[in-house]
Amino acid sequence: MINFEEELKKFHPSLEVEEAEDAIYSHDMTDMMDILKEVLKESKDND
Amino acid sequence: MKCYHCGAALSKNDFCTSCGADVKTYKTIIRLSNKFYNEGLEKASVRDLSGAVVCLKQSLKYNKKNIQARNLLGLVYYEMGEIVAALSEWVISKNMKSKKNIVDDYIKAVQSNPAKLEEINQSIKKYNLALIYCKQESYDLAVIQLKKVLLVNPKLIKARQLLALMYLKDEEYNLAAKELKKAEEIDSNNTMTLRYLRELEVLRGKKINAISDRKDTRVTYKVGNDTVIQPKEYKENTGISTVINISIGLVLGAVLVWLVVMPAKIALTKSDASKEINRYSEQVAVKAAEVEDLQADIESLKNQNKEIQVKLDEYEGDGGVLNSYDALLTAANLYMDGKATEVADIISGIAPETVESAKDGFKTVYGKINGEVMGEAADEYYKTGYSAYSNGNYEEAIENLQKAYTIDNTSVNALYYMARSYQKSGDNENAARYFQEVIDKFPGTKSAMDAQANLDSITEEE
Repeated sequence: MINFEEELKKFHPSLEVEEAEDAIYSHDMTDMMDILKEVLKESKDND
Repeated sequence: MKCYHCGAALSKNDFCTSCGADVKTYKTIIRLSNKFYNEGLEKASVRDLSGAVVCLKQSLKYNKKNIQARNLLGLVYYEMGEIVAALSEWVISKNMKSKKNIVDDYIKAVQSNPAKLEEINQSIKKYNLALIYCKQESYDLAVIQLKKVLLVNPKLIKARQLLALMYLKDEEYNLAAKELKKAEEIDSNNTMTLRYLRELEVLRGKKINAISDRKDTRVTYKVGNDTVIQPKEYKENTGISTVINISIGLVLGAVLVWLVVMPAKIALTKSDASKEINRYSEQVAVKAAEVEDLQADIESLKNQNKEIQVKLDEYEGDGGVLNSYDALLTAANLYMDGKATEVADIISGIAPETVESAKDGFKTVYGKINGEVMGEAADEYYKTGYSAYSNGNYEEAIENLQKAYTIDNTSVNALYYMARSYQKSGDNENAARYFQEVIDKFPGTKSAMDAQANLDSITEEE
């Protein structure tokens, strides 16, 4: 049975065009490759 | 594939042949990123857009520089109506790979129509406004806004899902189903859409059960291949209820006849009567016209009859042609017997205008008889008249002398002695008139002088 109030919470505002620039800049671009590089760099420093 | 450390091309080995860096984990990460990209591509190709988004995001989590995965994610967002999200991905892609990147075309396509982009932006604002209305429990306003959003941006999945949710809340299941079906056509495997559809089926089932509960007064069972439906409770009609039902039926039937059938019947009768009146009116008009024509014919025939009668009278009357012919024949017969005076009487009775208008044969016979007999007849009348005068028989004298003078108006003696006969008989008035005629017509004659003397004596006597 759907809980209407709970379902409403699942809907979030869409990005407007004016907000696109901020969204791009605040985009979390960290990926596994960055993490790998960080890990390898740390291990190299420890050595 | 290039080394993450020095950028040299990698071989099959797990280390870089250029800088010696360990690339085993790196290669695994790249492979995983590509694997998720492939899955995302497969899902997008079967319109599992939300599934594709998950895979492509995962692919980018492993390798943010997977340009193909990012471009495809932008396309999937675009297809789901999320234009701004699509543009964001494409701009990042463009920054990562500025040359030979397909997103140039995508961005150009969107930017080439700024009016459409603005329209879509307005629709996104309306969607956000609808979401605010929902949180304020102004659901009617939210529905209105969502409908406007979908008119401009029909692929915006979450707008359709929210609208369907509104309809589900209002128990408008058909409308909710319609929106969810459209959402399913855009994104075939969207978890939220599928969940709402399942919920819709459950709610519909409950509604149908509720309706069937209200209709549980019927019992359905099968006899062989036939389905029998009958009321659960069957009440046997009693005699009184039958009579009451029949009475009600009769009353209702009478009312129905009075309200429906009678007006139609009356209207039909009126229409027929009106047609009949019109038909008779036309016949009367035709008959009246015929009567007028006949009346005119009668008048014409009467006039013709009068004209014919006049002509007939002209032929048969006293002065008519037929009588004149008859008289002429009689005169001719008497003429052959030598009866001059009788012939003269008859000939003098024929009107001169009849002779004028008669044919040549009539004129010839009339002229011959008149020329030969009339002089002889005048002499004979004069002799008879004078003889009577001499004998003192003045009445006979007047009659014969009158005829003699009528036939021969040059006979002064006939006129004189006719006047004397009147004088002798004591009729001085006629005597004076004829004496004066003698004086006037035959002046200077002896008869005129004698007439003057006699006239003087009459005057003296008076």
